[in-house]
Amino acid sequence: MLLQQILNGLTAGSVYALIALGYTMIYGILGLINFAQGELYMAGAFATVLLLTAYKVNFFVAFFFGMGVAAVLGVILERIAFRPLRGGHPLVPLISAIGASIFLQSLALLLFGPADRSFPIQFEFAALEIAGVSVSTLQLAIFGAALFFMALLVAFVKYTKFGKAIMATALDQDTARLMGINVDRMIAITFFIGSALSGAAGIMMAIYYNTTYPRMGLLPGLKAFSAAVLGGVGNIPGAIVGGLLLGVAENLGAGYLSSGYKDAVAFAILIIVLLVRPKGLLGGRSH
Amino acid sequence: MLTLKSVHSYYGSLHVLKGVSLHVRAGEIVALLGANGAGKTTTLKTISGLLKPRKGQVEFQGEDISRLSAEAIVQRGIAHVPEGRRVFSSLSVAANLELGAFARRDHQAVKSDLQEIQERFPILRERAKQPAGTLSGGEQQILAMARALMARPKLLLLDEPSMGLAPRLVKQIFAIIRHLQETGTTILLIEQNARAALKVADRGYVMETGRISLDGTAAELMDHNEVKRAYLGKGYQEVWEE
Amino acid sequence: MTEYFLHIAIISGLYIILALSLNLIIGYCGQVSLGHAAFYGLGAYTSALITIHWQVSFFLALPVAAVVAALFGLGLGIPTLRLKDDYLAIVTLGFGVIVDLILLNLDVTGGPDGLARIPPPRLGGIDFRDKVWYLLLVALVVAFTLGLISRLVHSRHGRALKAIRDHEITARVMGINASAYKISIFTLAAGLAGLAGSLYAHYITFINPESFGLHTSILVLTMVVLGGMGSILGSVVGAGVLTILPELFRRFADYQDLAYGAMLIALLIWRPQGLLGSGKISRKFSLAKNRAKKER
Repeated sequence: MLLQQILNGLTAGSVYALIALGYTMIYGILGLINFAQGELYMAGAFATVLLLTAYKVNFFVAFFFGMGVAAVLGVILERIAFRPLRGGHPLVPLISAIGASIFLQSLALLLFGPADRSFPIQFEFAALEIAGVSVSTLQLAIFGAALFFMALLVAFVKYTKFGKAIMATALDQDTARLMGINVDRMIAITFFIGSALSGAAGIMMAIYYNTTYPRMGLLPGLKAFSAAVLGGVGNIPGAIVGGLLLGVAENLGAGYLSSGYKDAVAFAILIIVLLVRPKGLLGGRSH
Repeated sequence: MLTLKSVHSYYGSLHVLKGVSLHVRAGEIVALLGANGAGKTTTLKTISGLLKPRKGQVEFQGEDISRLSAEAIVQRGIAHVPEGRRVFSSLSVAANLELGAFARRDHQAVKSDLQEIQERFPILRERAKQPAGTLSGGEQQILAMARALMARPKLLLLDEPSMGLAPRLVKQIFAIIRHLQETGTTILLIEQNARAALKVADRGYVMETGRISLDGTAAELMDHNEVKRAYLGKGYQEVWEE
Repeated sequence: MTEYFLHIAIISGLYIILALSLNLIIGYCGQVSLGHAAFYGLGAYTSALITIHWQVSFFLALPVAAVVAALFGLGLGIPTLRLKDDYLAIVTLGFGVIVDLILLNLDVTGGPDGLARIPPPRLGGIDFRDKVWYLLLVALVVAFTLGLISRLVHSRHGRALKAIRDHEITARVMGINASAYKISIFTLAAGLAGLAGSLYAHYITFINPESFGLHTSILVLTMVVLGGMGSILGSVVGAGVLTILPELFRRFADYQDLAYGAMLIALLIWRPQGLLGSGKISRKFSLAKNRAKKER
């Protein structure tokens, strides 16, 4: 039972971690919470579902299409809702992000209607029994894919020229410019990557729960934010650890306390972390 | 090589540079002296494009660069080592150096430059994997200068390279500056330590409240009573000539 | 027809109280609450429950609702208002979700069905089911709110708050406990939202969790931004405009949220001071001055 909950938690947690990475990277470079992150998650899922419904394309094509749509939407969002407001009071881009979030959500509601859509492809997943715990290959696939994307991101940031330039921009924009780094471009790349990861997370959850709907991004978005805070905002390994821990905590809470309050666990954790250790577990930017 | 023609710069509504004109010839070291708040750092920021002048022109090798972005100016061959070193503290020493060459496309040459710089400053090779923030102040200054050199600049802007360093390190930094000149880099230097600066410099300018109040060769300025009284106090002498 | 106008006037009054209280948080704490509707809901449910189950008079339930909402505000404000930046927005949003979940899951709150047959207020011979009387009641509470805020702004505490708003670090150095002031303001604002909630519950006489979700919080935020962040009169006008406009454009109700989202972004880009903001607080949110500060 315990092991089962932990396993289920890791699956959900790996998806939270993917979204949390977007939050943390964008926070790192712009110092702003991209409230619309959950909507990019939703957009990725919808793009994939719609493409698969309309055309008989390969699943992986649809998956990357969904990530691409989320990524491009993220870049557009930055261009319209954040860039003109850069340098102002921190409340201003925050409210603008809230506006963007509600806009995208209601746009999805108008375009796709309020009904749930099931995932167009039915996968055949086997249930494995490992040490008395049942694991579906779907869970393993999600967990594996999430880890793969995380590893890709960490490698990008650590070992590529643009990854380092993004880190430099996050640390010190003016000095980055003195190196010949185009700060606007780095911010756009960050939005592109962060949004693509959120899009991937959305698609995975659309498969896992077999449902896609306009408000699907709200709760995962909030939970991923809690995960980012738990690990330390602005800290990439922190987002990963925070996401996994949060997923596990949530499932344990649902299993041992009450499933009705499952969604409340993340916020309870958020508030406790802010009270006890506002820098997060692995330390982030000082607040 | 570099010419400023009555440049006016602002921070928001604050008028900081009130018509600064100066020039730097190829191969020279030019010192920019003056009290805190005179506008020296602002002058460098205006040259490197971190600030845009509202009036006046900045010409580099005959081109008006006053409307260019900081990124474009680096590519023209101006590298700016900012005040307080500003190394990317959580990135490794090696990553800092690589970022110095960010704007360059000649990847082979970048590699050999990195080798060369690590040979000249062995500390940067020893500490290559360490986060730059763990270096001492003097090592960070060397890193900041080496990082700027990775851009292969024609003109190097140095903002207070000796600030906060022990006398021994100050000497070392100035030895590097002199060596850079010998290898053909042109330098515009801001220094609190006026005597040390004038010792390496060919010429100098003195700034006061956003304007150039005095200029001349290093020797002339060194002998100038005003300069002596204002900037060459005993303290500096002790630092430099022990 | 008169009934209809009275109804809109009453609803406007409730939104004015909500917008004014949210504006206090934005203007003086420099943060955004996205859980404002939760405080509004807490007030409504508290008031409804104690009048239904214990037959408490509305006029006692009204202040009790405010106190309960304020206590929740205090509990939420203490961990978050010490921190800088935009934490409050997310924490309050999360708080809103938790409150929503609790209202949906508890038996006593009636779950998704909510509470019905909430008694309208009675005082002597006056029957507040008459909308004229209810409007008068709402108007009194609006006047009370306005009076309270303007007295606060002009008091000794008001000057301390202005010092914090204009330059928090200097204020702290001068010995002003900025966190304590911010927490007090947040608590007060939550209490005012609770007041509005109680008025809403006893006017509509039927409540369910739907009225107190994120949608309402964002509506109130849009009102504040439209009127001008930091402007008292602006909040009044913003609340009025955004209550009346949707009534005029009923046919486009589906596009309402879309319009609010777009409006928020557009306002911040082209008119960050809102319709009426021109004072010191509003200028803080306009870009020019902050850009200048950053360049230095």
